[in-house]
Amino acid sequence: MNDPVAFVAGLKLLGAGLAMLGAIGAGVGVGIAASGGVQAMGRNPDAAGIIQTNMILGMAFAEAVAIYALAVALIIIFAA
Amino acid sequence: MSETTKKRTPVKRWIVLALVAAGIFAAFIGPSILKPISPVVVLPAEPTGLAIGGFQITNTILATLLADIVLVLMAFGAYRFSKTGSLVPHGFYNFFEFLVEFLWNSVSSAAGKWAKRIFPIPATIFLIIFAANMIKLVPGFESIGRMKEVHEGTGYAPVKLFSISSLSVYTLDKAHPVEVTAAIGETGEAESESHGEVATDEMCTACEVVPFLRGSATDLNFPFALAVIAVLMTQVYGVWALGPGYFSKFFPIKQLISGGPFGAINFLVGLLELILEFAKILSFGFRLFGNIFAGALLLSIVGALTAVIVPVGLYIFEVFFGIIQAYVFFLLATMFISGATIGHHAEEQH
Repeated sequence: MNDPVAFVAGLKLLGAGLAMLGAIGAGVGVGIAASGGVQAMGRNPDAAGIIQTNMILGMAFAEAVAIYALAVALIIIFAA
Repeated sequence: MSETTKKRTPVKRWIVLALVAAGIFAAFIGPSILKPISPVVVLPAEPTGLAIGGFQITNTILATLLADIVLVLMAFGAYRFSKTGSLVPHGFYNFFEFLVEFLWNSVSSAAGKWAKRIFPIPATIFLIIFAANMIKLVPGFESIGRMKEVHEGTGYAPVKLFSISSLSVYTLDKAHPVEVTAAIGETGEAESESHGEVATDEMCTACEVVPFLRGSATDLNFPFALAVIAVLMTQVYGVWALGPGYFSKFFPIKQLISGGPFGAINFLVGLLELILEFAKILSFGFRLFGNIFAGALLLSIVGALTAVIVPVGLYIFEVFFGIIQAYVFFLLATMFISGATIGHHAEEQH
C-alpha cells in the first residue's frame, strides 16, 4: 500500500487471473462436446464424419468463451 | 520402387542425430556460457524499421508476406504438377491433393449445390491461416531481430557472438541484466525517439530484441481482416442466392406490418440477427488470435524454463492447434456462408 504503482500493477495481475476463471466453463463445455461426440461415434461409426464436423463446431463455440476471457485478461495486463 | 529404397543413404539420420546432439549441447552446456532470457510479451506488432512511403512494415506483415510467397510457390508447384498429366501424386502433391479433397468434402456436405461457388473463399482462408500457422513454428521466428533500447523494466547487455565482415551478430545473456527505471525524463525519451533510425547502428546498453518475423495471427489485424472478409462474403453470397430479399432476415418489415404482435417480436429478432453478424467478426477474430497468441506465449515461456524435452511436445501440440484453428475458421465460414444461401423462408417450407 505504500507504493501505489506497484499496488495497481499487482491488482492488474490479480484481475487478469480472475478473468481467466471464465475458462472453467469453456473447459466443461468442450469436455461435454467431446464426450457426446465420442459416444455418438461409438453408437454409429458410419456417421463419424458428420458427427466430428459438428463436434468441432460446437467445441469452437464453447471455446470462444475462454478466448473472450483471455482477451479480457490480455487487455487488463497490457492495455488498461 | 525397390531401387529407390536401396539407394537411400543414411544421411538424414545423421542430420537428425547431429540436431539432437546440438540440442543436448545447447540445453546442458549452453546455460554455463549464455543463459536464455525470460521472454518479453508484446501485444501489438512491432515495426521492423522498414517502411514503404511512410507505411511502417511490422514484423507480422513480413511473416504474412512470407506465408503468401510460400503459398503462391505451392500453388505454382501444384499447377505444374497437374499439367504433367501424371495421375498418381507423390510426396508433397499427395498431401496437397488430400488437403483439397478433405476441404471439398467438408464444403460439399455443408453447402450442397452451392458448394462449387462457395468453396474458393473458405478454402483460401484455410490455406492462408494454415500456411501462416505452420510457418510461424520455424525456428528464428520471434527470436532473430534487431536490438532496441529498453525504456522500462529489465534489459540485457549485448554479448558479441561473431561478425561477418561489417555485420556483427549479438545475443542477449541473462547473466548481464540491466535495470531501467521508467522515469528517464522527457528529453531523454524524445532524444531516443528521434534517433530511432540512427541508433540501430550504435550499440544499446540495455537491450531487447525486436524480432524481424512474428507469427501473423499473433497480431489482431490478421484474424480480423479474414473475419471481415468472411462475414462480408456471407452477405454477398446471401444476396447472390436470395436477391435483395436476403436483407429481410435482418429487417422483416413484411412481418412487422402483417404479423401483429408476433411480427413485432420477429422484427426485434431480426435486429438481433444484425448484431449477431458483428458478433461473428469479433468471435472469429478473437478465437484465432487468442489461440495462436496463447500458443506462442506458452512456447516462449516454457522454452525459457525447460529447454530440453517439453518444448518438443508443445511444438507438436502447436502444429495440431494450427491445423485445428485453420479448420475451425474454415468450417465456421463455410457454415455461415451456406446458411446465408439457404435463407429463412426456404427453411420453413421444407
